[in-house]
Amino acid sequence: MADVSASKEWDVSAARSQRRRFTWNALLWAMVYPQRGQRIMPTVSGTLLIALALGIGSAAYNSANNILFITLSLLLACLILSGVLSWLNFRSVAWRLELAPPLRAGHEVVVGLGLRNRKTFLPTYGVWFDLVARAVDQGPPAVAESTITGKGLDLREMLAKAAAEEARGQLFLRERLDPWGMTRLEWRFQPARRGRLRVELAGVGSLFPFGFLRKTFSTELAEEVTVWPAPVEYRRQGVAVAPRTAGGERTTRAGSAGDLQALRRYATGDSHRLIHWKASARSRQLLVRQLAAESAEGYSLWLRTDEAIWPRPEQFELLVSFCATLAEDLFREGQLVAAAVDDEAPMPIRRVRDLELFLDRLAVVQRHNENVGGVPSPREGSMRGGGTPPTGMAGKRKNMLTFAPDGARGVAAYADGEKTATA
Amino acid sequence: MQMEKKRPQLSLDELHQLKWLLGGVLVLLSVWTVFYLEFDAWTLMGLATVAVSAALVRPDWPALVPAWTHRLVFPAVVAFFIGDLWVTGEVLPAVVRLDILLLLYRGVTYRQKRDDLQVIVLGLFLIVVAGVLTVSLVFAAQILVFTACALGFLLVVTLVESAEKGAARPVAGGLPAWAAHVRWRRLWARVREVTDWRVVALGAALFAGVVAVSALLFLAIPRFQLENSLFLERFASKKARSGFNETIKFGDVTDIQQDTSVAVSVDVTDRTQIPANPYWRMLVLDEYRDGTFRLSALLRRAAFTREFTDTALRGAARPVLGEPVYWTFYLESGISRYLPLLGSFEQLRFRETQNFRFGEELGLVALREEPVTMTAYRVEGQSTGGTLPDPAFAKGLRERKKSTPKSDTLLMLKLGVDAADRANLEQRVREITGGAELPAAEFARRADVWLGRHPYSLSPRIPDGPGDPLVRWMNSAEGGHCELFAGSFVLLARAAGFPARVVTGFKGGTWNAYSGNFTLRNSDAHAWCELFDRSTGAWLRADPTLGAGGTQPDGAKGEAALARRTDRSWSARFDSLRVFWYRRIVNFDQRSQVETLKAVKEATENSGRQLRAALTAMVERIKAWLAGPWDVRRAAKLLALAALLAGAGWAWRNRRSWIFGSGAGRHGAKEDPVRREAGAWLRRISDFGDLIPEALGVTEELQRLRFGAPGTWPEPEPVFQRARQAVRELRRRGRVTPA
Repeated sequence: MADVSASKEWDVSAARSQRRRFTWNALLWAMVYPQRGQRIMPTVSGTLLIALALGIGSAAYNSANNILFITLSLLLACLILSGVLSWLNFRSVAWRLELAPPLRAGHEVVVGLGLRNRKTFLPTYGVWFDLVARAVDQGPPAVAESTITGKGLDLREMLAKAAAEEARGQLFLRERLDPWGMTRLEWRFQPARRGRLRVELAGVGSLFPFGFLRKTFSTELAEEVTVWPAPVEYRRQGVAVAPRTAGGERTTRAGSAGDLQALRRYATGDSHRLIHWKASARSRQLLVRQLAAESAEGYSLWLRTDEAIWPRPEQFELLVSFCATLAEDLFREGQLVAAAVDDEAPMPIRRVRDLELFLDRLAVVQRHNENVGGVPSPREGSMRGGGTPPTGMAGKRKNMLTFAPDGARGVAAYADGEKTATA
Repeated sequence: MQMEKKRPQLSLDELHQLKWLLGGVLVLLSVWTVFYLEFDAWTLMGLATVAVSAALVRPDWPALVPAWTHRLVFPAVVAFFIGDLWVTGEVLPAVVRLDILLLLYRGVTYRQKRDDLQVIVLGLFLIVVAGVLTVSLVFAAQILVFTACALGFLLVVTLVESAEKGAARPVAGGLPAWAAHVRWRRLWARVREVTDWRVVALGAALFAGVVAVSALLFLAIPRFQLENSLFLERFASKKARSGFNETIKFGDVTDIQQDTSVAVSVDVTDRTQIPANPYWRMLVLDEYRDGTFRLSALLRRAAFTREFTDTALRGAARPVLGEPVYWTFYLESGISRYLPLLGSFEQLRFRETQNFRFGEELGLVALREEPVTMTAYRVEGQSTGGTLPDPAFAKGLRERKKSTPKSDTLLMLKLGVDAADRANLEQRVREITGGAELPAAEFARRADVWLGRHPYSLSPRIPDGPGDPLVRWMNSAEGGHCELFAGSFVLLARAAGFPARVVTGFKGGTWNAYSGNFTLRNSDAHAWCELFDRSTGAWLRADPTLGAGGTQPDGAKGEAALARRTDRSWSARFDSLRVFWYRRIVNFDQRSQVETLKAVKEATENSGRQLRAALTAMVERIKAWLAGPWDVRRAAKLLALAALLAGAGWAWRNRRSWIFGSGAGRHGAKEDPVRREAGAWLRRISDFGDLIPEALGVTEELQRLRFGAPGTWPEPEPVFQRARQAVRELRRRGRVTPA
């Protein structure tokens, strides 16, 4: 499994990132006009303060009373102080998203938001973060449409659909973030669908220091992650495995036991026991042993995504989830050799990383209307997932798992034409 | 949430306790305005003080109040307000009492956020009303303290709100958890524990900035004269504290003299014009009846004009050549509705529109009502002499035979005593004049001497017996105060055939050396006389009070005269603040704004000019010094200067660790080898440019060692070891590119 995926760099607050050459004009303009992405709205107390200032101002002008002018000046100065403190509060605060794959549809995901205060001695208080997770559209590019011709109902439906497809969350910095301090806030949500997911830090806001103004600004911090298909329950119906050759057949598949096959660079996730210390010392880089698996029996998975076979989207989703679950189970049992999607080159599954790549592929796989591998015959193809496998899998037809609809909603897996599992 | 803590933090309960404390302090600060507001709200203020203080000491007590009582509060408060309005008929005092009542309620009940805001708004209202009505310097101090507390309070409210966000809200009603066991001493210790002195210092500096910015805004806010005054004053009335009324009983002025508070502050553009012995006239009392001097209805009708509503008034004095002298008076509230003046004047201008009557011949100006706030007015071309020309009275005196017996002219000749006393008075006059007909000035001098046999006393005794009390005192050898002297003098003068009257006001005063103004205190209250001199057609001032010397011609003016009256005491320092407040804040207007801008411009230009001149002179001196013959001593001086500059440069470079280093030098980086080594490792790692993720962890630990408080340090040695490995790894990566 991969480590925590974090943004490569800390994103910094607008107060720091938008630093530019100082000019008095820029300073004055920044005071009266919010910068791009910034939004400042008065709160109840802020509205009260403004109303109070207006009332006192009118009374002051009406009566030429300097006591009222003093009060008005103090109120305005407090408003300025509020702005300065708010700016100091946001200043030099950096954040980054920390996502911990794997993410699975329907399973709770933890999105970490790392915070770091790089101020010298000032702490940061009372900041909140708006997070959004929305699916990255994998479909055809949207065609520009005029909203003038669109019906209100359609628009509402579209908006409702868009809102349903995204998850929103708000994180609060409840405690003080000390100077040079770091903290991590966590947001938990469940992605509804597999696919590419974009997690964004949509906005950062604060009421600090006096709660007069609700100051928010947008950020460009976003992370795209892959959400694997949701695991499904399925029923095995006896696996028909091709007979083992006498004495066992050695293959080039990497495994956890057997003879040394090769040396390769250390990759994240490799067991430390596999490190070849002598070779590492000689080459001054970490090298690990790659061993050949002893067993020869195993399955190849072939997933076909023809729309002709899977006309129903929900059945197709079940197929992808079933395929992913089966792949994981078989890999865990050491019985998965390769996997392929349509006519793509088969992927040998030797390591966890290979399986993850396959699951990444499954996460984004879509139905398509081109017939791949020939249209299966009604007797064999559509019912048993037959067809012509892609190059590289054709010669190893034995123990190849294919999928076919099982009734109106179900999906069945076939091993060399024999039904082995259903979901 | 996992938080790396450097210092402890206040818990939510502790924040609530702090909020409760600050809210209570705000309530107390607000209700204490009653001390100088002078409305009848003492009972409510006392009640609020006691109740809120009790709630501060024991925050669990408000929970003992049954919930149903809160439902009765609103109708009860409304009923109180209506009843108050009905009974007193005064809007503003009733509103102030309502405000105090609401503050009292908010101070003793658990508050939500909107209630916290209510406390601030109600408190601000009370303070502003008090400030507008009293224009007191206390307002300045109170609004500053209130603002500081309110900002702190709002800050804590925001922190509480942010700490509560997303958390389960406490159930409303009942005893809140934070109020169950409050120990203020422990909270104080906790607050001290979590406080960083640098943050506190910055907060103080920022608050000073707020004050400075508000001062600048006050100066810069454009002013328009809308000529619409009497804002809140119309909703409140005030009775004079002092005795400067149309009727004066013996002892009234003496009572005022017991009060040493400031009555009038006077600014003058030319201090040399201040007389050595100034008499500030306020009121003329012409009628003597029943042992009391009063302003007769006849004189009031005849001498005063109809009422004006204006900001300016033209007087009887004619303009003189030369630079005009402006006298700016700041008359405190509760003194009188009659304005103190030295004599006749060319023009009098109020800061705000006023309703007033002008007695041109009397040299008096009377406002319609007793001002409830400080009243400022500026007088131009004021006469400072001891005489007051009155041609109208002279004419009336010449034609007195034709005039009615009840004319005001004759009233100033009327003795107001019975026949026996009249005979007694005539006898005394003969003793003074020797039977001769004397000019007014000479009579005044002799009468002054004759009355001098009475010693001065603030607690006089008037002998018992029949007849007029003033005549009885005159015939005795008892001591007396200014009113007795003045009253006796008037009776003697009238008996001698001179029209005479008592004048009340202030005499003397002190020159404040700090603010450069004249200060009159209530203790300077005085009564003296004016007798009419037929030869000059003017009223002649006569002060028969022992040691006053007011009958002598008043010619001395200028610095020498002021030197005797200069006050450099601590009270003068405090009074100078008050005068500054009046001059620069209360009396600030469009004209002052322009003057300030001019002054700032001139000061800037002058400073620039002086700086340039100083720099040029310094360069010239350095050049001359360098051009002079060199010897060892000069070289040593140069070297010492270079060393000094180098030291200053070194100090400047290391200022960061001195100022911002934790503990201000106690744990400075230079002193601590751990900090020094952590800094060295950080520099080494930063040489590699962008940090690799593996180095990031150790970098954070190194930063903690470098800048963090020692209490939060990880074990230094393992961190340095990891840093060493990270640097090694970074170097290796520089040679071997990963696949």
